[in-house]
Amino acid sequence: MSDEPAGRKLNINEDWLAVIVGLALLALVLAGAIPGSVIP
Amino acid sequence: MTEQTTQETPEKAPSSGIGYAVAGFLVVIALGAATRFLEAHVPQWSAGTPFAKVAKSIEFPIYAIALGLIGNVALTKLALRDALSRGFRTEFFIKTGLVLLGASINLKVLVTAAGPAIIQALLLISTVFGFTWWLGGRLGLEDKLRALLASAVSICGVSAAIAAAGAVQAKREQLAYAASLVIAFALPSIFLLPWLADVFNLSDAVAGAWIGGNIDTTAAVAASGAIAGENALQIATIVKTTQNALIGVVAIGLTAYFALKIERKSADEARPTIGQFWERFPKFVLGFIAASIIGTLYVQWAADAKGAAATIATVNDLRTWFLIFAFVSIGLEFSLKGLREAGWRPIAVFASATVVNIVVALGLATVLFGNFQIG
Repeated sequence: MSDEPAGRKLNINEDWLAVIVGLALLALVLAGAIPGSVIP
Repeated sequence: MTEQTTQETPEKAPSSGIGYAVAGFLVVIALGAATRFLEAHVPQWSAGTPFAKVAKSIEFPIYAIALGLIGNVALTKLALRDALSRGFRTEFFIKTGLVLLGASINLKVLVTAAGPAIIQALLLISTVFGFTWWLGGRLGLEDKLRALLASAVSICGVSAAIAAAGAVQAKREQLAYAASLVIAFALPSIFLLPWLADVFNLSDAVAGAWIGGNIDTTAAVAASGAIAGENALQIATIVKTTQNALIGVVAIGLTAYFALKIERKSADEARPTIGQFWERFPKFVLGFIAASIIGTLYVQWAADAKGAAATIATVNDLRTWFLIFAFVSIGLEFSLKGLREAGWRPIAVFASATVVNIVVALGLATVLFGNFQIG
């Protein structure tokens, strides 16, 4: 193991990605582009 | 979760190619699909047998975590787990699932629960952080490890440990160690707390607030809340999200404390900026609130109430998939590697802090959410 300090750069990116993916999926479902029948 | 500390290391390049990440992601999807399959079929297979009642009561988080752990053992035996670990994105899956969960939480519930959730989070974080810091000092733990353990146990598990590690410039092995402790303690809590909530006959709101306040890591809170029921899951998520939002404050406080007391910098150099707060703020909280506003307005303005409810049910199905992927990833990432060389003292500190957290969180949840009405 190195003595290098640990940061959280990767997690900040994942935070924004989660917001974008989550809201995009929500918008698609509300717009009717993802109907309930396609989700197993 | 220990992989989170090494994923950013350039020397891991041979195992960090995009092909391995995609393969790891496909493993998560396959195990997620297997979870759904077992959840649907095990009750049918066991009908008429002595196991029928047990099989019916097993919720999807249990299958997901169990399959993740089995996958973990199998991939470790095949020497593939470390290579594929870039696809096990627990943090991304859980945060996307929580954003989608926001759509099913009425804004009124979110706003009403925010007050007690903030009070609970402030009291709980102060008490548990203070106790862990004090006990860690009494047992002679190094300051940076004390900061990591205190943040992890009092705020939001691995994410808090990562934020604290950045704030105090902790070593990678200290972060790996704290992350291993978080998961080792969270796994039994996922099943223990809903069971105890049932034994104590707690209301959904109190059970949810207890689960959200006590279990450290956000994915484990969602798993435990899902076992306790939909209403408990909503309150648990609001409480945990509130704690997540406060990590920035604690991380900035730690940065300032270490700069002033440990590195002996001047007050001007140690003074935090607004930019630092924003940098540490977990952005998925904004997505969670936005989804709650969008979902509430959609249901309120819809001409066809039944159709709107069915649409939100579809969002909930998607949310369940992301939660399943997160729970599978918890099992796949679980590692005791970080615990081997650290000795008994940090484990004693973490275990004691967990007990204090359980008791104080139960007291606060009972007082603050005892009369809370969901819906």
